[in-house]
Amino acid sequence: MKRGLQLALLFFGIALPALTGHAARIGDLSETNIAEQALRFFTFQDPAVRYALLGSILLGITCGLLGGFIVVRKMALVGDALSHAVLPGVALGFLWNMSKDPLAIFIGAVLAGLLGAAAVHLIKHTTRLKEDTALGLVLASFFAVGICLVTMIQRLPTGNKSGIDKFLFGQAAAIGAGDVQLMAVVTGLAVLVILLFYKEFLLTSFDAGFARAAGFPVQAIHYTLMLLLAFAIVIALQAVGVVLVSAMLITPAAAAYLLTDRMHRLLALAAIFGLFAGALGAFLSFLRPNLPTGPLMVLAATTIFVLAFLFGPRHGVLARWWRQRSSAARIQRENTLKAVYHVLEAREFKGEGVSLRELAERRRETVKDARQQAGELRRHDFASLQEDGNAIYLTPEGWQRACAIVRNHRLWELYLTNAAHIAADHVHEDAEKIEHVLGEEVVRLIEKRLNYATRDPHGRSIPGLADLRRGASPESPASGPTGYGRSA
Amino acid sequence: MTDAPPLEIHDLTVAYHKKPVLWGIDLVVPRGKLVGIVGPNGAGKSTLIKAAMGLMPISSGWVKVFGEPVKKNLTRIGYVPQRESVDWDFPVSVMDVVLMGRYGHLGLLRRPSKQDRDIARESLDKVKMLPYANRQISNLSGGQQQRVFLARALAQESDLYFMDEPFAGVDAATEAAIVELLHELKARGKTLMIVHHDLPTARSYFDMLLLLNMRVVAFGPTNEVFTHDLLQSTYGGRLTILSEVAEAVREKG
Amino acid sequence: MNVLVPDFDFHRVFIAPWTENLASFGWITLMGFLVTATCGWVGNFLILRRMALVGDAISHSVLPGLAVAFLLSQSRGTLPMFLGALVAGIVATVLIELIHKKSRVKQDAAIGIAFTSLFALGVILINLYAGKGGVDLDQECVLYGEIAFVPLEPMVMVGGQILGPIPVVRMGFVALATALLIALFYKELLVSSFDPALAVSLGISATFVHYALMGWLSVVVVSAFESVGAILVIAMLILPGATATLLSHRLPVMLGLTLLHAALSAVLGIHLALWLDCSPAGAMVVAGTLIFVAAWIFSPSEGLLRRWFRARLEAPAVGSS
Repeated sequence: MKRGLQLALLFFGIALPALTGHAARIGDLSETNIAEQALRFFTFQDPAVRYALLGSILLGITCGLLGGFIVVRKMALVGDALSHAVLPGVALGFLWNMSKDPLAIFIGAVLAGLLGAAAVHLIKHTTRLKEDTALGLVLASFFAVGICLVTMIQRLPTGNKSGIDKFLFGQAAAIGAGDVQLMAVVTGLAVLVILLFYKEFLLTSFDAGFARAAGFPVQAIHYTLMLLLAFAIVIALQAVGVVLVSAMLITPAAAAYLLTDRMHRLLALAAIFGLFAGALGAFLSFLRPNLPTGPLMVLAATTIFVLAFLFGPRHGVLARWWRQRSSAARIQRENTLKAVYHVLEAREFKGEGVSLRELAERRRETVKDARQQAGELRRHDFASLQEDGNAIYLTPEGWQRACAIVRNHRLWELYLTNAAHIAADHVHEDAEKIEHVLGEEVVRLIEKRLNYATRDPHGRSIPGLADLRRGASPESPASGPTGYGRSA
Repeated sequence: MTDAPPLEIHDLTVAYHKKPVLWGIDLVVPRGKLVGIVGPNGAGKSTLIKAAMGLMPISSGWVKVFGEPVKKNLTRIGYVPQRESVDWDFPVSVMDVVLMGRYGHLGLLRRPSKQDRDIARESLDKVKMLPYANRQISNLSGGQQQRVFLARALAQESDLYFMDEPFAGVDAATEAAIVELLHELKARGKTLMIVHHDLPTARSYFDMLLLLNMRVVAFGPTNEVFTHDLLQSTYGGRLTILSEVAEAVREKG
Repeated sequence: MNVLVPDFDFHRVFIAPWTENLASFGWITLMGFLVTATCGWVGNFLILRRMALVGDAISHSVLPGLAVAFLLSQSRGTLPMFLGALVAGIVATVLIELIHKKSRVKQDAAIGIAFTSLFALGVILINLYAGKGGVDLDQECVLYGEIAFVPLEPMVMVGGQILGPIPVVRMGFVALATALLIALFYKELLVSSFDPALAVSLGISATFVHYALMGWLSVVVVSAFESVGAILVIAMLILPGATATLLSHRLPVMLGLTLLHAALSAVLGIHLALWLDCSPAGAMVVAGTLIFVAAWIFSPSEGLLRRWFRARLEAPAVGSS
């Protein structure tokens, strides 16, 4: 996996300098131009800018919302197939009166999308072909019909100037007042339907079988969702283009999926991410003429996803790496505590201090390492150091933790030998790992199961509650059953 | 032929998504035995045979087949996977599937020879499926599909067989035929490890039983192992602790 | 021309290309056949392994690789192109794995994210550099290829004999290599597609076969790319195999039917393009789709008609019993 990462970095290392190098060159030629364009964008005086921005925001919201359902239903590739399948509908809608009539294109595209969905369903149910093949078939063949129609339209005198080719990669600047009106209506409708039927959508997405048994019209709900999906794809067409619409469905929603565990929050976040990606893409495409909007929006969405992937507080790569690191450090501390306990136990708990040399011998490492680990324990208030720094004393917390770890280890060994019938000479390695993950409840279960035994399979005493209370002082070990569970 | 046991497993631990599913397995299987692997759902029966064949990564421990690592002795192992594990719409004939059993002996670039075809045909004949040799596999009944898988295992001409629930969903006639075939293989000195779901028949089918529930509860001759106490500790819910700890390992590991 | 669908002129559509313009139409048709046949062969295995949409992902992902290779080498040479596409294909595969192994995003979404991002990157690179430094790669080429320009490419000459335009010769080599590879590794491909666990227990590495197939898929997609674009390639990968699946239960027969489908869709497609005056690559896919639909309806073993008849025959029997 590491090698893969390096490869990816290498690749972008080639691609990115090429991009920025070029940008610098453009900057030399027309620096004022870009600044002017940016100013024009942010003053919002140009109605074209307002429409483009408004349209991008609307499509971002709708795609984000629908994408949330698509991602949790594992239908990402259905979204991809449908978005390619609308192309012939766009072309036919265009042919209706040979102009870019938003309503005609909308109707044509929705019908094509639904036809595509029906074709996938039919192929799946009447042939031996599997779903992935059916999706690929519909995607590619509908798209091919669309390509034929588009090239035919472009050949016509009126078609050439019409900008139908802008539907392939998107051009936010081409969004007009009529488009924005339609987009607002469709977005409102989609939001309304989702709010009204949120519970049904949620249930069928999570457990269709249960929903069916509970009497919900699963099939009808599914098709409602497909219809909304077609809506979302169609309103995104103008700005994002047929080819990349699926990214606006999948990527913002997947980023949201990394950040939250609740469906309603996921939908809200996905809509916000979609909005941002849309607006950012529209802005960037505005800086230079002829840059298609769709790819820019998609890359903006990808950037959001990458940020969530790396820095997500709970599921992010960084957070996970940090958790693993801190868990490794905790295990290290616990092992040191255990070693201190073993030293004390070996001299029958006479004298509280443990010299670093004893600790190092016990752990079979250098005094330097032992000193470093002693410092680590001190930082966590598990131990204090002698003034000369050559011996450590456990604090009450440190003593308790040490007892708990040793206890976990010996209990687990006993459990494996007594209850799971594993030979006593096999259990140590396993206990070395398990001792760090056993929770209080499981410990109690094990104690009960072992009838509060006090000796491990090797005959050593299992530290109990009395040992905890006693502290690391030279008293006689407690006798009789001493389980945590019993006294609790 | 060496004297090394067909299968030797030492301290084997297997984790799936970091959650341990098999724990400290120790096992030495003697030659020429018909061994049934029984245990409740989720006990790790299929995992055990997959790990033994090197189909799954193992977390610790080792597996030896005839005294050597599995990879060195692949041709001496035969495998009958669960029937649902493959796509029965796949465009191959019964003969093609059985010939796949010979691929391990062929190596790269060589095609099945006349001799390989003869072996495949004999294997099909043994399971009484020769008349179906040219059928496409989706046209077979469940029992017939299982027989094809058995024929393929026969064509592998191995010394150690792993079978994953060969009796699942087959008709009575097929079940009887399979049992007969297993005994015949055993008589020829083969060792067979069979994942089995049904306790009542396990007693009569197998020489030895391996009672499995995340770890080996017992392994020995059927009449010694098939006791109320041992079965109770295999199927009883007394190992909730083990699975809870497995869950904890997954979360914190 | 001022009408969308020109009048059907039999002579113009069916006779003229072969009598008056054989040289160019011959090359275009041959190229269409080679592309569809090669993609179709690889596609058969993709379908069997339920990886049809991985083909989709790879075909989109090679675009930035091609763009970067063009930029770095400032040429459309064969070697930089293959290398660029291969690297991009590997990056896509790795990214997909990375996303779905290191996070809870499922594989389908991971595929969707990876290939759209790479494709978007490619489109932007091409737009920034279109027409500069002799790199004539543009949006149209990405979308529907330039199969019509194949006869205009420089010819490859061997010993004074014209072998063909460069793209056709290149595609011919890739087609031959594909056929050879399938013939040589037929049993490995077959068993690892049918039963990966058995393959591993036989000592055949299913992972290796998987990556080898992905690598070869990138090579095939790249050589087809210039002619049919990034998206129509998906059709070439899936249509022939899907059609063959409906007509036969035997893999060798299916591979043969793939050839037939490729030939028919190339020839019918070129005539369709001539009639409608539209993109030839698009028309070839439409023709291929029509053949698929015909197989779907009329397949003797499992077509819709056959199913319908069988249902009608069985219905009264059920009623009477």
